[in-house]
Amino acid sequence: MFANLKRIFKTAWQGINRNSWLTIACIIMMVISLTLFTSIIIFNYAANYLINYLKEKVDISLYFKTDVPEEDILKIRDELLGREEILSIDYISKEEALKKFEKRTSSNPLIKKALEELGENPLASSLNIKARGTEQYQKIAKDIENAPFKDKLITIDLAENQRVINQIHSLAKAMKWGSFLTMGVLVFISLVIGFNTIRMAIYALHEEIEIMKLVGATFWFIRWPFLLEGALQGFFASLIALAIFIPLIIWLSPKVEMIFAGFNLASYFWANLGFIFLIQTAFGMFLGIVSSFLAINRYLKI
Amino acid sequence: MSLVYFKNVSKSYNGNIILDNVTFEVERGEFVCLVGRSGVGKTTLLRILYHEEPPTKGRVFFEDKDIFKLKPKEVIKLRRKMGMIFQDFKLLNSKTAYENVAFALEMTGYPEETVKKEAKELLRLVNLSDRLDNFPHQLSAGEKQRVALARALIHRPEIILADEPTGNLDPINGWEIIKLLLKINELGTAVILATHDKEVVNTLNKRVISIENGKIIRDEKEGKYLI
Repeated sequence: MFANLKRIFKTAWQGINRNSWLTIACIIMMVISLTLFTSIIIFNYAANYLINYLKEKVDISLYFKTDVPEEDILKIRDELLGREEILSIDYISKEEALKKFEKRTSSNPLIKKALEELGENPLASSLNIKARGTEQYQKIAKDIENAPFKDKLITIDLAENQRVINQIHSLAKAMKWGSFLTMGVLVFISLVIGFNTIRMAIYALHEEIEIMKLVGATFWFIRWPFLLEGALQGFFASLIALAIFIPLIIWLSPKVEMIFAGFNLASYFWANLGFIFLIQTAFGMFLGIVSSFLAINRYLKI
Repeated sequence: MSLVYFKNVSKSYNGNIILDNVTFEVERGEFVCLVGRSGVGKTTLLRILYHEEPPTKGRVFFEDKDIFKLKPKEVIKLRRKMGMIFQDFKLLNSKTAYENVAFALEMTGYPEETVKKEAKELLRLVNLSDRLDNFPHQLSAGEKQRVALARALIHRPEIILADEPTGNLDPINGWEIIKLLLKINELGTAVILATHDKEVVNTLNKRVISIENGKIIRDEKEGKYLI
């Protein structure tokens, strides 16, 4: 059995070397397919990051009247934390709020002057509520509207965010199905392109396949080297696709970070390099093997 | 029992009759020349025998088995009992002379040492020991046909089917191939030689089956090419 495996590998390797132009054509087609495939994986990650980034920006802010003592606000906070749908609540005292505001507007002397002239802190204490899921904000806001402490509030700040929440929710759903569908279509297109390229390569060798049949070769004896060739082509295509991605990611990463602060594409890529290479190679080899199998079956009839 | 038995075999393509009710037998170790002009059905007859295409009517037996009732695995075994050489050589262009011969033995799972020994021995027999690593495009027509003959012999077949083997060769190389076929026949392998080369047939003094318009018109033990 080992001898047969050795022969199959030797024949496949000979095929790759001796029909080098055909091999190169097949590999180029597969590199294109794999590049698209990996782009979708990375895009999917980026999209999820973006959605989570936007989700984190969403919260409900409860602004309390200035005469509400701090201990009452903290009591309300503790009460609300007991609810299942609430993930966390941040208490921002009016002093803290003023400090943050002054820091944010430090470059604007007009605002600084206006505050000085006021003489007192115009900002209110607040509770920033983060829900476990964006779909829960609506319910939380409604419950707070009917809560006994409602009269202690100046305002419940959700209305502006509600539209964003709904859009994010729809976007997340659309992206999930969109990338799933795109992946499916891409796999199909890749198979068609890969199959046709390999089919042309095998057609160029169809006379040889006929001769092998004539001298009494079994179907699997004929098939195995072609399947292994397809797998090897997929593997080499994966290496080349990776070699294309690395400089591309290094170039693109700082540009993306300028738009989405905190999103480091390069870090993600390096951290998941093994996984990306593995899945890309698996797809490439699958593409090569399946295409070879379907292409060669045409000629294996007695 | 005969080695080969064609029983009332006819073959037509789109209404054109190529073979018409052909019946004959070939015994083990026999040398048969199949003669006739180009297009009379010699190649078609051989293609039917090595199961490349089925007859329209009739039955073909090899070692008493109806070859068109065989399963695909059995057809593969059948082809290993036949060695074939063709006018256009049919070598694998991406393999060297040695690899072309060795390939035919590798498929039966023999160990590498045995394959090497047998392949080199056969190439020595056909005087190509110094051309083992050459590809077909680096060989002359005569050398290519000798590689093809070595390959045909690798399974120690019961019969050699030679379809116009000298068609693309000069007379000297052609005779070299015929002499090799005679030598193989002396060792017990049957040979069916399809040819329209009058000189070869008339010199051999072997059984001659003459075909004209798809029919056998003559079958003589020590025949001549009389068409």
